[in-house]
Amino acid sequence: MASDNDSFKKGLEGLEAGGPRSPQEAEGPPPPAGGLPPHPSVDALRARFGDAVLRHELVAGDEHVVYVDRARSHEILAWLKDEPGHEYDFLQDLTAIDYGNGRTLQVVWQLWSISNKLNLRVKVEVPLDDLAVESVYHLWRASDWLEREVFDMFGVVFRGHPDLRRILMPYNYAEGHPLRKDFPLRGRFSRAEQTRRALSQKTEDHYSPRELEIAHLLGQTLPDPFNKGETGSQQGQFGGMGGGG
Amino acid sequence: MALRRVVYNVTRTPEMAPGGSLVHAPIVPVQGEGVEVHEDIAGEHMLINIGPQHPATHGVLRLVLELDGETVVRCIPHIGYLHSSFEKLGEYRDWNQVVPLTDRMDYLAPLIYNCCYAMAVEKLMGIEVTERCKVVRVICMELDRIFSHLLWLGTTAIDLGAFTVFLYTFQERERIYDLHESLTGARITTSSTRIGGMMADLPAGWIEQLQKFVDTFPRTLDEVETLLTNNSIWIGRTQGVGVMSAEEAINFGLSGPNLRASGVTYDIRKDRPYYDYETYDFDVPVGEHGDIYDRYLCRMEEMRQSLRILQQAIRRLPGGPINVDDPRVILPPKTAAMNDMESMIHHFKVVMEGVRAPVGESWFSVESSKGELGMYVVSDGGAKPVRWRVRGPSFINIAALPHMIEGALLSDVIAVNASLDIVLGEIDR
Amino acid sequence: MGLNEGGLPIHNQQGGGQAPEGGIFSGQPSFLTTRLDAVVNWARTNSLWPMPFGTACCAIEMMATAASRYDLARFGMERMSFSPRQADLLICAGRVSYKMAPVLRKIWEQMPEPKWSISMGACASTGGVFDVYSMVQGIDTIIPVDVYVPGCPPRPESLIYGILLIQEKIRNSNPTGRQEWRATDILPPGESALPDHVVERITSPFGSSTSQNRPSGLVPTGAVVRPTDRRP
Repeated sequence: MASDNDSFKKGLEGLEAGGPRSPQEAEGPPPPAGGLPPHPSVDALRARFGDAVLRHELVAGDEHVVYVDRARSHEILAWLKDEPGHEYDFLQDLTAIDYGNGRTLQVVWQLWSISNKLNLRVKVEVPLDDLAVESVYHLWRASDWLEREVFDMFGVVFRGHPDLRRILMPYNYAEGHPLRKDFPLRGRFSRAEQTRRALSQKTEDHYSPRELEIAHLLGQTLPDPFNKGETGSQQGQFGGMGGGG
Repeated sequence: MALRRVVYNVTRTPEMAPGGSLVHAPIVPVQGEGVEVHEDIAGEHMLINIGPQHPATHGVLRLVLELDGETVVRCIPHIGYLHSSFEKLGEYRDWNQVVPLTDRMDYLAPLIYNCCYAMAVEKLMGIEVTERCKVVRVICMELDRIFSHLLWLGTTAIDLGAFTVFLYTFQERERIYDLHESLTGARITTSSTRIGGMMADLPAGWIEQLQKFVDTFPRTLDEVETLLTNNSIWIGRTQGVGVMSAEEAINFGLSGPNLRASGVTYDIRKDRPYYDYETYDFDVPVGEHGDIYDRYLCRMEEMRQSLRILQQAIRRLPGGPINVDDPRVILPPKTAAMNDMESMIHHFKVVMEGVRAPVGESWFSVESSKGELGMYVVSDGGAKPVRWRVRGPSFINIAALPHMIEGALLSDVIAVNASLDIVLGEIDR
Repeated sequence: MGLNEGGLPIHNQQGGGQAPEGGIFSGQPSFLTTRLDAVVNWARTNSLWPMPFGTACCAIEMMATAASRYDLARFGMERMSFSPRQADLLICAGRVSYKMAPVLRKIWEQMPEPKWSISMGACASTGGVFDVYSMVQGIDTIIPVDVYVPGCPPRPESLIYGILLIQEKIRNSNPTGRQEWRATDILPPGESALPDHVVERITSPFGSSTSQNRPSGLVPTGAVVRPTDRRP
């Protein structure tokens, strides 16, 4: 229908305006802050970090979003956390958005300052062929599991995270990263195959690498699903799980 | 039995060899920053598994504990046993079709989730709901806060051995189930909000039923308090256990009564008020020790404060329409849809094509019974979300569990776990 | 163990050529054995000890069924056994993910005979709302199920009706008969008792989930379908 074509086009425009395809294509100097209501942290960030602050947007009426350069994201977030007057001590959320269609992935930090009552959303655009960002584990411990979840669901590696492994899916899940747009809703394997993989695991075998290291250290032998397949023939198509054990 | 403390450096990302097997890397003792492993020279530590099927884990949570006798040396939680990919499923559903999914995440306070999701999408769309809808949603959210705290109270008490409280709280919950059922048709999975309003207005007699509940509930609460608050066994098991200091609590991202029990005054209803919460007269209890007892007191008092809010909301409930008068999102009244062509086409378009949101994104968080519930919706201009992210408070609260119980006794593990008020549907999503 | 034309195993095969002649325990029903059956079944029916395998929302309804208003103690079932070794009725209440499936299987295998199972709720019966990559589309692919209780979540009255159906099943069963066993009781270790094509058939999408797609009208799904992927 004609109206759908119009909204389609408008939607596409919105998509294009939503973000550049890669950091290299970002606009040079950030636009002047005259158009948007000021946010104290964004202005201070611009003053301190200059062109590492790529863009500042206002969404949904009153939410300030700032896009920063991936290389300096940890520095910027640390500054936001510790700088007096800003002190974003509460990490509300850490997530990622995959728009699909080859567009860059965005990693999102949603910050709140309990003392100053300020909200800020910080975003970093990550190219699909290099999904890696600096971890903020040592800034906010809340990011421990949040980063693991983003790794599990999107495949983004957080450099510096002490224990980055899957959290919601089984540790040896072989179908991919579910929340990516190129991952089908019902998974890649057939239901019979998924059932077989699920049932072939022993319940006690779901130990994390850290636990296995500890057991290794204490001299306790635990069933080790990750290395069981070293017998050779049982590996291969099951990607490390040694079948019925 | 001496314990020799050795500091190890486990700051590496595990390497997966091709073929999927994990490569053991040697753990090297270092000075300074690292993870402590207590080496027990005389005896042996034991690695035990609690869950995922266990009566006291409040769902399918699995805890692997390294025990030194009865003392927990290390705790490693494993989650994901209930992962139902709500977020992926939300990308395949229209904006209104996501509402039934929200009930099934925190099934102990479904109306709060319904409301929060609708509020996030309405913010994205720039829709302001009617005054009546605001008050009704406040009533729904406070009612479900009581609902959730009652279950928390019952299950925590039963975990610590007090069975009677469970029966009392479940009897009260049955009355709230009745309220849910009259309002929405379902006891738990209410799905009562829609973008721009509610699925239906309040049925006749509902406010009277609610008023009766609000008037008689304090008696049960008092009775439960006599059973627990000054009970020496309860105090002995909960005071000083599972302590989190204020800085730690903030850094770990705790929210809700868990954070406030540690002394941090952060309540979204006060700090970023929505739906005229700043005009309601209520207090927010804040503890000081950060132990289980303080969390218990905070939640008990929160129930009383919710009753206060409910009383005020009932009195100020205005008349008027419950749904906003916006044809983009709201269906026409059924009589009109059945009688005139234009309304029928309008109804058809809204149902078949779905409500369309503008390009953009919106984060909205409310004070849920468990903590800060955030919904982040991203739209590309269509009828379905591009990304629907739920910041479930329990996911972040439970991550702090190892910090709270390392060094505590095994029986404290259950108590602390119960005190965090987690719901696995929200953790695993 | 026989399979019917649909490929599904036939349960409760009784009679047949294995019974020797005569005697009270010969497998041929007689006056004494039917009286004994009735007594044994009466005992089993009225003191079922449920093993609540509650995962999600249905578990809350199960707790409400056990609480004061819809009292399960009327049926002798207030003693919820959390240890499978002492339970005879597994009530799987709530959605089961593939990560949880081996746990469910193990709990079922740990329960001693005689045992029955109730699949409570839509998610346990067929996957419910969640036709997704991580959810088991019906626990009957994992363990044998006796009674399915539909609902999302089923009201306590529905669960009680399901329990009454189990009681009826028990009353009609034949404990002294030699062939009183279920074809799927010996579950093959590490895999489902149902053959692959049966699993595919019973887990395939139905109803509105067949048209689950994500054309928001603007951006195609972009799902990369590999040759080994399942077709929706």
